[in-house]
Amino acid sequence: MAGRRVLITGVANAFGARLARCLASDAGVERVVGVDTRAVDPDLAERIDVVQADLRSPDLAPAVRAAAVDTVVHNDIVQFPEPGRPRATLHDVNVIGTLQLLTMCDGLPTLRAIVVRGSASIYGSEPGAPAFFTEGDADRFPLRTRFQRDIGELERLVGAFARRHPAVTCTVLRLQPVVGRDLDTPVNRLVRAPVVPTVLGYDPRVQLLDADDAVGALGRAVLHPVRGAVNVAADGVVSLSRALRHAHRPAVPIAGPLWGPLVSAARSAAGQPALPDEIGRYLRFGRGVDTTRMRRELGFRPHHSTLEALGRAAGATP
Amino acid sequence: MTEDDWGFDPDFARTAAPLLDALYTTWWRVRADGLEHVPSSGPALVVANQAGGQPWDAAMLATALRRHGVRPDDPARFLVHGRPFELPFASTALRRLGGVPAAAGNAERLLAEGHLVLSFPEGGRGAGPGYARRYRLERLGHGGFVELALRSGAPIVPCAVVAGGPGLADRVMARVARLPRPPLPLPVPPAPARWRIAFGEPIAVAQHGPDAAEDRALVLELSEEVLARVQEKVYDSLVNREGAL
Repeated sequence: MAGRRVLITGVANAFGARLARCLASDAGVERVVGVDTRAVDPDLAERIDVVQADLRSPDLAPAVRAAAVDTVVHNDIVQFPEPGRPRATLHDVNVIGTLQLLTMCDGLPTLRAIVVRGSASIYGSEPGAPAFFTEGDADRFPLRTRFQRDIGELERLVGAFARRHPAVTCTVLRLQPVVGRDLDTPVNRLVRAPVVPTVLGYDPRVQLLDADDAVGALGRAVLHPVRGAVNVAADGVVSLSRALRHAHRPAVPIAGPLWGPLVSAARSAAGQPALPDEIGRYLRFGRGVDTTRMRRELGFRPHHSTLEALGRAAGATP
Repeated sequence: MTEDDWGFDPDFARTAAPLLDALYTTWWRVRADGLEHVPSSGPALVVANQAGGQPWDAAMLATALRRHGVRPDDPARFLVHGRPFELPFASTALRRLGGVPAAAGNAERLLAEGHLVLSFPEGGRGAGPGYARRYRLERLGHGGFVELALRSGAPIVPCAVVAGGPGLADRVMARVARLPRPPLPLPVPPAPARWRIAFGEPIAVAQHGPDAAEDRALVLELSEEVLARVQEKVYDSLVNREGAL
C-alpha cells in the first residue's frame, strides 16, 4: 500500500504523539490525522492534521470521511486516569469511544486496517494461570477488574466488526504493562517510588514492555497489520524480586491485607488516586505471555528485555 | 541470575536441598526404586498417584531424582493443582523449586522444551480417599495427560508413591491426618510414615503420532494402561513394605 493515510485516536497521549511523529516522518505514509479532545503539542500539530473532537460523539465522521483514511489506530484506551481523562470517564472513553469509532468505520469505504492498542490485562493475574498466556487464552478466567471488563468489551466490539468486514484487517495488540522514563502511570510511579511496596510472601513472575517498544509495535502493526490479537511483551519473564534487585530498587514487603490500605494512604498523601485492582493482583500473581505470534506473524522484535525496560524506567540504566 | 522464564531458581533449590533431604531420609525414610526407568534426556512425563498430598509427593519425587543423580542439569518440573499457588510463601517456594500450576498449556510447553515433568492426574481427589480405599487409585482425570504425551511424543513413566503400611500405628496416623489442620500458609508435612517410591518402565507413545491425541479410544486405553501400571506398582510396594514406621 503506497501513500498510507492513518488516523490516530488519542493523539495527545504519550503513545499517540510518538507514533504520530514516527509515521509523519515515514516516507510510505502520506497523511496522518490525529483525533483528541486535548491540545496536541504544537510542534507535532504542524506536521499532522489534528481534529479536535470527542470520540464519544458522532461529529467526527465527516472530517474522517474527507481525509479518506485507510488505517485507524485506536490508541485512546485509558487504563489509568490521566490529564483530560478523569477517573469517572475511563469506562466511557474505552467502551463508548470504541463503539462510536467502529460505527464511524462502518461507513468508511477506504478503510483497510484497524490497529487497537489493547492490553494483556485481559488475561488477568491468576494463581493457577498458564505461565505463558497465548492469544487464545483470553476467556480462561473471569474478567475481575474494571479495566479488564472494559478491555473485554472492547475486544468483543472489535471482533464483531472484524467479522462483519472481512476486507478490513483488525489487529488488537495486547501489551504487557508499559514502563518508560517519560510515562506518568501508576506502574511507573511504583517503579520510581523511594521504596517499592511488594506483597509479603509473593514473588510474581513479571513481564514488561518498554515504552519505545510499545510505539515500535504499534508502528509495525500499522505497516504490517495481522488479523486478531497479538501479545506484545519484552523478552524474559523474571521474578519481581530479581527485577527490582537488577534495577537497584529497594523493595518493602507489606503483608497482604495491609498492602491495599497502606499503598492507598501513601498515594493519597502524594495526591494520587488509589491504585486499580489489577496492579495489586499483578504484584501477587504476575503474568507471562507467549510472544511467538508477535515474532512470527507481526514480525516485531522488542529492543529491550524486561530487565532493561525496568532499569530504564527506574533511571538506573540509559 | 540463573532463574529461568518459568521462575525455577537453581540457587534456591540448592539452598532448600538440605531441608528436603532431611524430610526424605529422616521424616519419611523414603526408599526409591526403578530410577533407571526415567529417561536421562529428552522430554518425559512421569505420572504418579498421590499419597502424601501435594506438594509433598512432588517434592519427594524430585528429591529422589536429584539424590540418585537423574538429570542433574535439568531438574524435574512438577505440576501443582489448585490452592498452593494462591498462598503467600508456599507459592514462591514452589515456583522456585520447579513447581508450575497445572493449567492447560503449561505441561505441553515444558515437554516441548524437553523437560522432565511430574504430573499427578488424580488431582485433589487422590489425597483424600477413605482409609479403606487408601491404596486404590482414583480415576486419572479424563486422560488429559495421555493427550499431552501423544502430542509431544514424550514417553509416560508410571510411578507409585506409597506412604505408610499395615498395623495400628498407620491407622492412628491416618486418623491424625484427618484432624482439622491449622490454617497455616505453608502446607504441613503429613505424618512420618515410611514411604516407597517406585518408577515403572516407560510407555512409549511417540509411534502413534501427535494426531492420535484426538483419538478418544486410544487415549482412554492408554490412560487405563497407565492407571493399571501405577496400581500394580502400588500393590508391589505394599507387598515389599517394611512396616509403617
